[in-house]
Amino acid sequence: MVRRGVLAVLVIGALALLTISFRSPTSGALHDVQGYGASALRPFEVAAQRVARPFRDAYGYFDGLAHAKSENAKLRSEVRQWRTQATQYEAQAGKTQDLEKLLRVERGAKYPTDFRFVNTSVISFPLGAFAQQITIAAGSDQGLRINTPIIDGDGLLGHVVVVGPTTASVQLITDPDSNVPARDVTNGVRGLIRHGAGNTLLFDNVPKEQTVQKGDVIVTQGTVDRRYPDLYPFGIGIGRVLQVGTSDIASYLTVQVMPFARFDSLDSVAALISTKQR
Amino acid sequence: MNGVDGVKAAVVLFVAAILQVSIFTQVHVLGGVPDLLLVMLVAVALLRGSMFGAIGGFFAGLLVDTATLGQLGLTSLVLTIAGYWIGRYGETTGRDRAHAPFLSVAVVTFLYSFGLLLVHFVLGERAPAGSVTRGLLPAIVLNLILTAPVYALVRRLLRPLDRGDYATEVQLLG
Repeated sequence: MVRRGVLAVLVIGALALLTISFRSPTSGALHDVQGYGASALRPFEVAAQRVARPFRDAYGYFDGLAHAKSENAKLRSEVRQWRTQATQYEAQAGKTQDLEKLLRVERGAKYPTDFRFVNTSVISFPLGAFAQQITIAAGSDQGLRINTPIIDGDGLLGHVVVVGPTTASVQLITDPDSNVPARDVTNGVRGLIRHGAGNTLLFDNVPKEQTVQKGDVIVTQGTVDRRYPDLYPFGIGIGRVLQVGTSDIASYLTVQVMPFARFDSLDSVAALISTKQR
Repeated sequence: MNGVDGVKAAVVLFVAAILQVSIFTQVHVLGGVPDLLLVMLVAVALLRGSMFGAIGGFFAGLLVDTATLGQLGLTSLVLTIAGYWIGRYGETTGRDRAHAPFLSVAVVTFLYSFGLLLVHFVLGERAPAGSVTRGLLPAIVLNLILTAPVYALVRRLLRPLDRGDYATEVQLLG
């Protein structure tokens, strides 16, 4: 009898917490308590990460050795290609700046010059198949807010969805609920980045009349109209086009994108805090 | 059963919850992820009964939801029921049976996955049944691999109860 009573109390307690948490996921007293609780747990998570790091590094080292030779040849060829393109882009960027000044283009904060980077580590990873979210060891005390963009050394990861004093939850761009306005920098085509099959992303909403080619680089679109500011500034690398498909009945191209960011081995990330006055 | 057992159970579940959110969630094998916390909870519930299972499940779930800034109560709800149910099994038909931990882990992994799926579905959130189903078999196998060492560790910390400490509401035959 007693144990059934305890069970009933615990189930009702869990349902009550769930109801309050569901109704106000990003604010309120319970959210504040949760934030302080997460801050208290942070040292334990960081310690666990540090203990596990040598093992992860050892695994990464041997895994890397297995693919090092073929990857080296591929990277050398890519570097040659990028060097040529970088020179062309540099020349074009100079012209673009002059034209923007002339036209008084409103673009919002510029990446990376108008941002300060808050470097931090990942302390927990996606739990199961329900949401692609990670927890990072930085929060409102470090200047993070809801919707703060998060990147790693390779490209865009996502944005902050819940923030506590010293931790924050980040929705990854691989989450099914994530939609990132993006642009093919090679051909100037706009679309939306959504989660795709396996480890890939989908560059969606691209009309069939547009041209997108394998190898094109996809970056964030940024704010086009200042009345509707985008979460992300223009120019954060998202990924490279892996495959372009089309069918007679579909209105849009099927563009598969391989993300630059390595979602399977996230370790250190950076939050982009805008330094530009709004 | 005494307060020392409660402290020991709390410590092992706390450590398991921290290791689960910060390390074990990164281990993906054929789409499955091992769940150290669930296996630890099963071991505690089998050795200490339904009250420990339910209370341990509630607080372990609360820790997970707090650490990940997730929806409070979601994991607690499912783990409370799982802990209670396994505890009852341990108090009655599962006692003294060598296969009980393995059977419990396999069944609870299945029920826990679909329990979470159901709660997400009821809340109107994304409930990817296909993805959960694909990862289920590897997850069961990974959890079964963890079962023997985890159960042995918890058994060292929480000695099995005497017969008189078990539930008296169910009479065993034979």
